[in-house]
Amino acid sequence: MSKVYYIESSQLNAFFNRVKEGYKVFSPAIKDKNAKEIDYYYRNINSDTSFVYNSYRTVEPLKSFFTSACEKVTDYFSPEKNITEVAGKAIIFGVKSCDIVGHKIQDFVFLEGVEVDSLYAARRENTILISSDFTDFKEVCHCLAWDILPHPTAGFDLNLSPLNEGYLVEAGSRKGEELIGQYKDYFIPAKEVQISARRTKRDNLIDRLKKHLLTQSLVPKDMVQKIVKEGYSFDTWQQFMLTCVECGGCNLICDTCHCFILADKKESHYQNKKIRVWDSCLYANYARVAGGANPLKTRAARLRNRFMKKFDFFVDNLGMPACCGCGRCIEVCPGKIDIREVLKDLAKKSNNQK
Amino acid sequence: MKNIYRPIEATLEGVIVETPTIKTFVLRPKEDFSFRTGQFIELTLPGMGEAPFTPSSDPNIKEKIDVTIMNAGRVTSLLHNSPKNISVGIRGPYGKGYPLDKFAGKDIVIVGGGVGLAPLRSLLFSLFAEIDKYNKIVLRYGARTPNDMVYKDAIPLWANKKKVDLVTTVDVGNPEWKGNVGIVTTIVKDLPVDIKNTVCIVCGPPIMMKFVTLKLLDTGFAPGDIYLSMEKNMSCGLGKCGHCRVGKYYACKDGPVFTYEQLKDIHDIWD
Repeated sequence: MSKVYYIESSQLNAFFNRVKEGYKVFSPAIKDKNAKEIDYYYRNINSDTSFVYNSYRTVEPLKSFFTSACEKVTDYFSPEKNITEVAGKAIIFGVKSCDIVGHKIQDFVFLEGVEVDSLYAARRENTILISSDFTDFKEVCHCLAWDILPHPTAGFDLNLSPLNEGYLVEAGSRKGEELIGQYKDYFIPAKEVQISARRTKRDNLIDRLKKHLLTQSLVPKDMVQKIVKEGYSFDTWQQFMLTCVECGGCNLICDTCHCFILADKKESHYQNKKIRVWDSCLYANYARVAGGANPLKTRAARLRNRFMKKFDFFVDNLGMPACCGCGRCIEVCPGKIDIREVLKDLAKKSNNQK
Repeated sequence: MKNIYRPIEATLEGVIVETPTIKTFVLRPKEDFSFRTGQFIELTLPGMGEAPFTPSSDPNIKEKIDVTIMNAGRVTSLLHNSPKNISVGIRGPYGKGYPLDKFAGKDIVIVGGGVGLAPLRSLLFSLFAEIDKYNKIVLRYGARTPNDMVYKDAIPLWANKKKVDLVTTVDVGNPEWKGNVGIVTTIVKDLPVDIKNTVCIVCGPPIMMKFVTLKLLDTGFAPGDIYLSMEKNMSCGLGKCGHCRVGKYYACKDGPVFTYEQLKDIHDIWD
């Protein structure tokens, strides 16, 4: 097991405010304390602030720190061939296990394959992820349906678990160990009894989340590819698309959706740049080719494409579905299209066929 | 580390008018650039936009690349109206291209439709360069009208080459046209080849590829011996932007040339 430390709340606050000397720090904050269900938003910490522990995931997906909705990726014909932007050093607090698992998809897309996206790689290398356990969940949370636990098991640099008047801090990587080494005065080795208390808290949360999901009878992970394949011709797609307004929100806020379009921007006569803009497969022109042909002409075909990509393509290519159960797409959708319900409808219709 | 989105600069050196809607653009890259036949490039008009095209020139010629382009959309229309000697950008080459090693020792059927002959011209140059490796080339080309045929001067020269059997057709003729009239499937018959030892390469509009493929399957060619070019809107060319998904493949990195064997179980491939 990797190393686990203990840090008192006041000490964590001090650590939190110290690290911004060397890093750009992003951490969750509450916008509206009186909301029925509190939402956490990321903010850039540049003055002394007290640390806010987010009991569940933030509104923004983790991907937004590594690619932007719209950004320059290259100039034209600059004499310098290697124009990788030097990504600044950053620390992101409050990352959750769903974000980390979902981010595997982004890593797979941008770090593997035929070529490495050097800008993404530099940002990934220079960013420290400080995750934390879920201590509560949102109505839309369904990570357990994809066998993702509500606390991270890998892929983090440091992980925080609240315990009594402080936090257990687990180092999950060399970068995490180094950060602790750099600020070693704040951390003391955790005792066995503290680690077992963490286990109890985690198990309790898992039990609560299991109860929450039990009544939903969600489609299990090992069934999902079969269901979307069998459901290719079902009317599920037409039915659920009735309320879609093609805003693309579900794609843009999804931790695993990675589609973008490369576009050109004219700055002046001599300066042009290539920009990368997030794209959505629900947009009418997503798949259109020159001459006007469009393989995803109908709205239903576009919704189906979203599901085939998530639950068929990525299962074939990476061995995992491209959904981490964070429920962001459910919250954001003005048409109230619920990914859980779409899958359940496919499962139901596929059972009825037999 | 290399910036994978950076285009290299090329000069638009010449423009050859092929038909009223199709031109061949001759590009001279300012940095080292080469491609294998069937691979594609992203051609950019700086500040305006880019689109994927498969070069139509001989891959063995490194200093110049021809790209034959139909005026069909925003970028292609801008290109058609561009003056000579402007700077354009090239990214690539992308994709796998034609597996020439698998064609060695075989009869090769090539079926082109309209501007779909462009990538096939690059393939023909590659085959001609090592013609001893291949048994024969059976080329079938169809265009809408005689005026819509590309490479009008080259076609008679190819027809006279050794090991080449060439037939053309047009959907609708005109008074000067003495050749075949009928859609391209009408000349994909009685092919002088050994079906068991033949590869078929098809490139053209989706509807044309569909019916040629059905005809070839009907004739007895194996799905694994039929090579098709998938037209998708490849944006990045690198398997990252997500646009050109075909089943479990991306047309940009796993294609754009696929065998029918790879595609046959995927829904709606001709759309």
